[in-house]
Amino acid sequence: MIAPAPAGPTDAGLRWRRVHPVTPFVRGWAAIVAVLVIGSQQVLDDVAGLLRAAGEIGGLWWIVLLVVVAFVGIVFGYAALAWRMTAYAVDDDAAHLRKGILFRQQRHARLDRLQAVDVRQPLLARLFGLAELRLEVAGGSDSGVAIGFLKESEAQRLRADLLARAAGVKAARRTTAPVEPVETTPSSVETAAPVETSSASVEPVEATHGVSTLRPAEEDGSATAGRAPSDGDDDDLDAPPEAPERQVYEVPPSRLLRSLLRLPGLWLSVLLLVGLGVAVALTRNFGILVSAAPAVLGVGGYMFQRFAGEFGFRAALSPDGIRLRHGLLETRAQTIPPGRVQAVSLTQGPWWRGPDWWRVRVNVAGYGVGEGGNAESQSVLLPVGPRSEALTALWLVLPDLEAGDADETLALLDEALTGDARTDRWFVTSPHRARLLDPWSWRRNGYAVTGRALLARGGRFVRRLEVVPHERTQSLGLDQGPWQRRRHLASVALHSTPGPISPAVHHLDADEAARLLGEQSVRARAARAHAGPERWMEGPR
Amino acid sequence: MTSIPTPGPPASGPFDPPDVVWQGVSPRLIQAQLISSTAVAAVPIVAGTVLAVLFSLWFWLLAGVPAALLVWGVLLIPRQVRAIGYAERDDDLLIRKGIMFRSLVVVPYGRMQFVDVEAGPLDRKLGIAKVQLHTASASTDADIPGLVPDEAERLRDRLTARGEARLAGL
Repeated sequence: MIAPAPAGPTDAGLRWRRVHPVTPFVRGWAAIVAVLVIGSQQVLDDVAGLLRAAGEIGGLWWIVLLVVVAFVGIVFGYAALAWRMTAYAVDDDAAHLRKGILFRQQRHARLDRLQAVDVRQPLLARLFGLAELRLEVAGGSDSGVAIGFLKESEAQRLRADLLARAAGVKAARRTTAPVEPVETTPSSVETAAPVETSSASVEPVEATHGVSTLRPAEEDGSATAGRAPSDGDDDDLDAPPEAPERQVYEVPPSRLLRSLLRLPGLWLSVLLLVGLGVAVALTRNFGILVSAAPAVLGVGGYMFQRFAGEFGFRAALSPDGIRLRHGLLETRAQTIPPGRVQAVSLTQGPWWRGPDWWRVRVNVAGYGVGEGGNAESQSVLLPVGPRSEALTALWLVLPDLEAGDADETLALLDEALTGDARTDRWFVTSPHRARLLDPWSWRRNGYAVTGRALLARGGRFVRRLEVVPHERTQSLGLDQGPWQRRRHLASVALHSTPGPISPAVHHLDADEAARLLGEQSVRARAARAHAGPERWMEGPR
Repeated sequence: MTSIPTPGPPASGPFDPPDVVWQGVSPRLIQAQLISSTAVAAVPIVAGTVLAVLFSLWFWLLAGVPAALLVWGVLLIPRQVRAIGYAERDDDLLIRKGIMFRSLVVVPYGRMQFVDVEAGPLDRKLGIAKVQLHTASASTDADIPGLVPDEAERLRDRLTARGEARLAGL
């Protein structure tokens, strides 16, 4: 249910819409639960004192009730007011959101800078069938735009619409519309070359988005009928169909659970707990157990967060990019358009070697600084999977590494994942001199360059591989400490957007490092010049 | 006064790419850094001295450690400042720093998101400013301290112009 928002200055041509009226309840409950949790934590510290206090105020229960009611009223009142003041609108260039009661805020998120679109459904919102749409634009902390809550179908529709606009589908259609004579038949629309975009580039767009070939002709009709400013109206008519998607892999819960059981941190804490149990049994001092509670809660909380956040993980590929769905209580459906992934890392802890499991994470601008604890599960591309799936995940980001034919690419990746200096064919590794500085993993430190990306390898106990597409390098750094200088070594860092990955190649031969720095900056420049357009459905520039 | 060719110590090696003419920063940065580090060290030194005279000789430690650090700093700062260099190439800006821990940063113009020019009260008094480059990466540590205001402005305008000409998405 969408009511047009009447209040506030309306920009010409923008059609402001309100979010779902149940939003205040969903948001308000979150606040109340938070207060209850904090309050109960405070109270539980002193149960005896509380009981005494309860006895004293026993006669005054109605005051307590009144306070609670007033508190709930204020929270919901505030949330309701906030709902009244929140509205969003979408046009071809930007998504607009305005909100705030005392401090009004109006935010425009440029769609050509759109980095990712998430549909987030917290537990309570799921019960109501609501969802929140989060647009990530790369603009430092808290620059994302959260539109919520909306009805689930409405959120899906809006996401498809935003992605279509961000992809340049609508823009492309608009540029075609005015030039074509009204009489054009659908078939000639396909063949007639529009002004700026070649017909070849428009065709697949229409096809992949499942827009009927009749569409341009219809648009012509409405254009001649004078539809100029009322963009919002024809939104409802031609709700862009969701781009078709193809599921690539999914992570069964059993595998996720087993992978979590293979985390060394878990067993370390279990060991610690057993040790504590022994200590308690020996000393009969139960205070020790209480002092260990925060650590246990911390580990347990982390495990649960990993499990709940990565539960039911599914990845799919669509013309709009990579689609990820996951979550047990709070579900999240992420869409990362093509070319938005800044870096990929594949890691393998020591106990994941047996089943050859890997974890794949990505840097996406905007995700790294997302709402606190969620950043971890937000930037996961594959929580855990066998090598083939991990390579599929890498393929989702970089379909072609340009490292030769398929066999050669596979061999290169094998070397990147598990090889070291003794078996290397492609990788340039730390020289023997680095052994003293990095006794464990000097043989693993190294890099390889393909036509599309730089592969940085490292770590012996926790193996890691970082892949940075050439055109996504932000800046490069060369560092050398006094010990490194003595041994004529240097480390190269590839600066990426904030996120879990900070790609670096440690302890290279100094001249080699300098050469890499020089060559990589040239490669990055060349790759940027040929990079695809920000609106990924438009033809290359 | 736009260019101060740097005599900087690393004359060759990985931190000196070929065909790069380094520019140094104003020697007034030495003054600025000496003043600020003296001011920071002065508090414990004075306090330690007073306490040592009044109460116990142990308080000389409180004064001695920062004093030693200050002497170390006084000896080091001029060399450190002279080691700072930057170079504008056709497509990127190079910034070089450090003697013990050396670093070299390459920032492509097209990757710059914005450029900051900063000058604190002491900097203004001495007539220097700091230019800081920001890319989409938080780990890009690219700032050039101790620039003459004219040079800082020139650099800012130039970087902005070049950035616009080569602007790429993320």
